[in-house]
Amino acid sequence: MDINIETAQGKTPVAILHPHGRIDGSNYQVLINEGNRLYEAGNRHLLIDLADVSFLSSAGLVALHSLVLIMSGQKVDEQQDGWHALAAIEHEAEAGPQPFVKLLNPQPKVTNTLQMAGMDAFFEIFSETAAAIASFKS
Amino acid sequence: MSANDPIRDLDSLQINAELVDLETIRHYIEQRAALFQLNPSITYDIQLAVTEIVTNSLVHGYPERRGWIEVQIDRLGQKIYVWIRDRAPEFDPTQHLAPDLSKPLNKRHLGGLGIHLTRQITQKISHRNLPEGGNETTLVFGT
Repeated sequence: MDINIETAQGKTPVAILHPHGRIDGSNYQVLINEGNRLYEAGNRHLLIDLADVSFLSSAGLVALHSLVLIMSGQKVDEQQDGWHALAAIEHEAEAGPQPFVKLLNPQPKVTNTLQMAGMDAFFEIFSETAAAIASFKS
Repeated sequence: MSANDPIRDLDSLQINAELVDLETIRHYIEQRAALFQLNPSITYDIQLAVTEIVTNSLVHGYPERRGWIEVQIDRLGQKIYVWIRDRAPEFDPTQHLAPDLSKPLNKRHLGGLGIHLTRQITQKISHRNLPEGGNETTLVFGT
């Protein structure tokens, strides 16, 4: 999986991640590491462009969830295997779409995976970049 | 797909217990799906379910990353059968608790997500302990 990154300015700065390829247990940590790096660089809002993600396993879902934790200022233990690390994490955010990480243009089968996991209610999903960027609040 | 792809004609595929080989397994599934003339949606579901079961085996069964996993796919009538075998300690995915989707995501244990996804895209999941040791998980898909 390759990841391209750009930044955009809406009401607040937004980092846009463009992962390409398949996200599974062999590479999901790359996405988490990139989220940590962006957070340490001062980013607090993330738009993930899933248009070129052709496959997303539960490990990819774990990565997306981890990015929310990271952008909301919580640490994800990189020393654990991700599954167990996240199973132990509980935070105080309320249920429903969170304001830190949003998704752009997931492919139908990826959308289906998000829905099967109930994660489509946790992420706002956009089909246009400009609308997505404008939705982030400072 | 290359015409002389060595994976294309394999009845089963055996790989070392490495997460990087997930791509090899998905490639094998694509070849078998083409042979069975499966549509892309079913092919994706098979790839997803097998990825989840194999990942569980690799992470939980082979923490030292030594061993092998075998994947076999066949079509019997209108159903696709996938057998996933390993020599890891017993791990029965059918006994793995699914996450409680009525809870908010941040209160939900994600460890069972892979099994939860697999249950939703398969017609049946079964497990047995192999007589020589290890596990055999069988997945059944409709076409």
